[in-house]
Amino acid sequence: MTIVKKALPYFLAVVASFIAAGIFIALMGFDVFKAYSTILFTSFRTPNGFIQTLLKFVPLVLQALAFTIPLTAGKFNIGGEGQMIAGGIGAAVVGILFSSLPAYLLLPLVILGGIIAGAIWGLIPAWLLYKFNINEILTTVLLNFVALALIDYVCTGALRDPGAGHPTTVAIGVGGWLPLFMKNPPFHAGIIIAILVAIGVYIYTARTTGGYELIATGANPRAAGVFGIKVRRMFVLSLLLGGAIAGLSGAIEVAGVQHRLIEGMQSNYMVLGLIIGLIAKGDNRVVPFVAFAIAILEVGASAMQRTLMIPVEMVFIVEALILLFVLLSDVVRRK
Amino acid sequence: MDNQTILELTNVRKVFGQTVALDSVTFSLRRAEIHGLLGGNGAGKTTLMNILYGLYRKDEGEILHKGKKINIQGPKDAIRQGIGMVHQHFLQIGNFTVLENIILGTDIDNRYTMKTQNEEKKILDLCQRFGLDVDLNTTIDTLTVGTRQKVEILKALYRGVDILILDEPTTNLTPQEVDALFESLRVMVNDGLSIVFITHKLREVLSVCDRITVLREGKNITTLDRKDASEEVFVRAMVGDKMDIENSIYFATDQRSSFVNRLDQAAAFEMSSVSFINKDGIPRLKDVSLNIHSGEIVGVSGVAGNGQRELAEIVTGVIPVSHGKILLDSKDITHTNNQELFKTGIAYIPEDRLHDGFLPKANVAQNLILGHHRNQPYSDGNFINWKTVFKETREQIKEYNIKTSGPEDVGGNLSGGNIQRVLIARAFSMPSQLLVAHNPTRGLDIPSMDFVYQKMLKRREEGYATLLISEDLDELIRICDRIAVIYRGEILGILPRSEFDKYAIGRLMSGIKEENPATEEKALP
Repeated sequence: MTIVKKALPYFLAVVASFIAAGIFIALMGFDVFKAYSTILFTSFRTPNGFIQTLLKFVPLVLQALAFTIPLTAGKFNIGGEGQMIAGGIGAAVVGILFSSLPAYLLLPLVILGGIIAGAIWGLIPAWLLYKFNINEILTTVLLNFVALALIDYVCTGALRDPGAGHPTTVAIGVGGWLPLFMKNPPFHAGIIIAILVAIGVYIYTARTTGGYELIATGANPRAAGVFGIKVRRMFVLSLLLGGAIAGLSGAIEVAGVQHRLIEGMQSNYMVLGLIIGLIAKGDNRVVPFVAFAIAILEVGASAMQRTLMIPVEMVFIVEALILLFVLLSDVVRRK
Repeated sequence: MDNQTILELTNVRKVFGQTVALDSVTFSLRRAEIHGLLGGNGAGKTTLMNILYGLYRKDEGEILHKGKKINIQGPKDAIRQGIGMVHQHFLQIGNFTVLENIILGTDIDNRYTMKTQNEEKKILDLCQRFGLDVDLNTTIDTLTVGTRQKVEILKALYRGVDILILDEPTTNLTPQEVDALFESLRVMVNDGLSIVFITHKLREVLSVCDRITVLREGKNITTLDRKDASEEVFVRAMVGDKMDIENSIYFATDQRSSFVNRLDQAAAFEMSSVSFINKDGIPRLKDVSLNIHSGEIVGVSGVAGNGQRELAEIVTGVIPVSHGKILLDSKDITHTNNQELFKTGIAYIPEDRLHDGFLPKANVAQNLILGHHRNQPYSDGNFINWKTVFKETREQIKEYNIKTSGPEDVGGNLSGGNIQRVLIARAFSMPSQLLVAHNPTRGLDIPSMDFVYQKMLKRREEGYATLLISEDLDELIRICDRIAVIYRGEILGILPRSEFDKYAIGRLMSGIKEENPATEEKALP
């Protein structure tokens, strides 16, 4: 009963946003039902579609967690993009410098390089917050731009691949590639890492004392401080964790998908991550499910563009509308 | 005296969300009377008067003024009808003078020159007539709470009201100031005004009111003439049939014999010459020395804002000690952080429950373990044992009578009184060497207050130390072994139970020591 009650506003929000977007699709002269069946069922019609969805799910869930973990402590990490890029750079640099190492050494190093680089990118705003009380929203957003400039530097500098038309580094060592479950389509093992991280985050926040302190800090930092929780340390920790997870998503992108660093690899994962985190209302348990649903929409959107010539942006509009309606349902319920 | 009814409220009903705050309440006010509106917290007294003053809209019911039905949309309408209200929290501008505050928002004769002689004369006249002694040209910030209240009353009188509502006017007044207030009220009534006196303190209504209406849980219980009824009748009306008055501490009239002197026991807690200087360099605690013996309840009395909050936070390690030394169980805890303190045996009920004590976004279970979340049996240090936590939470919800749907209920759904119960349950649920309770009964109804007193006395029996900081002097006198009086960050005196005297404590509260009468009139920066 209560689960039905809780899920109902989500369901209504999804339906309402589909109707709203459907009106526009119809006005643009497309077949609404065909469009929606493409969006919703591409992921399940073919094994390839399902694998694409899982691959999409990996960066989405990690980006969303990079946002919701700091949010649990009441801090806003809008720097997932920069942290992801930093992670990608870290992973690529390690993977290129030690390219001759065997897989059992290089792969962990590449992943670790990404995690550490992302964590450093998260630590900078955390330290500024701890030391000088500078708003973390500002610093995380601004560091995104720094990261964009940095990836440009790396991709056009010493590690550049001269044969490529796009700013790209040379490939990382083969030992740094994530193993594949399947060659065609290429289905890498990043999904395992993502699921483990999601489970780990759940255990940490819901079961451990440290996670409790994180929640208490987010619920009321003043009261948490009065009752012996070191609030400012929790802020730092949360941003550090967020950065590390975003960095991991960058490392997986390098080690699993591209095998090199490519400018623009961050796609719009951060914005989608924010949307997922907000639709899940910051609940770390709900994030993986919402991320999967958004992955379905994203994969469906590409298929829709290919077969029906409807621009993918339409799906982005649907996603944004879902968020708006979910937020709206909160307001309505409070009334 | 003329006994005609000038104001009548009939069948007033007010609902906030799910809770019925007032249920067909009827209230009538006669000319030239002091009418006490008595009831515990949450009885609906203030809600009823806020409706009369136009701050809330009633859902049902009528207001009759001199027999005519009136419609009050806001405080302006109320003042036009001659109804004024003095709130618990004064609505004054700190850096304006008394005169400016009084005439603020009214028309003055010389609009463009701001010359206010006429107004001043009128106010001085009022001051004299009602014995309200205030210097009109001092700024509000420098005044004591008692004087600021006089300003608030003058504000209403200046606007020409003939019905004056006072919401808990004696909170934060010293006993001397209370007496002066009652005298002024009597003068006003003799002059033809009618006064509604909202309070939860039975003794006060009995000493000053002509008629008394008792509310309980939003219902009108009874209205009686002071002369016609005994104290017992009112007590019963206030608390209902369920409470055991015989064994209550709240209504205990005689000195309890069980109070044995605990001074021969070892001091469980000792602070010597502790000072605290805040971020702006202003000393908020000066040379405070205080010890609490095992099995002793030490009270701290004082007008709010004289350093009580700093004292509580120094003891619980929330703010650092500037100078001095603190010992708990003969262990130096002067520089121990509060995480350690909560682990080793301090419990705390903060004054500002919403900001300092509660997690509105977390659930009830999470709220109950705050501060104890690293201790057994809730946690093994790494993982929280939610099964135990939930079991404990369910038991405490029952024991402390917390009105909530269960341990998973979000804290923000709880009412003020229930939030206070959560804080109390949290503080008492774990054995602690020292409990620091700052206004622990604020917002509680009488049976719940009594419950807290029982719990504190149980701690006392078990040999634990308690520091009770309260603005309610009656509360302190009821259960403390000793009372320390704090004034501008200094302890002016510590009285043992045998020397408890309201007026003596009141003198200390306003900074008057026996040996050197009030010469120090420096304002606290």
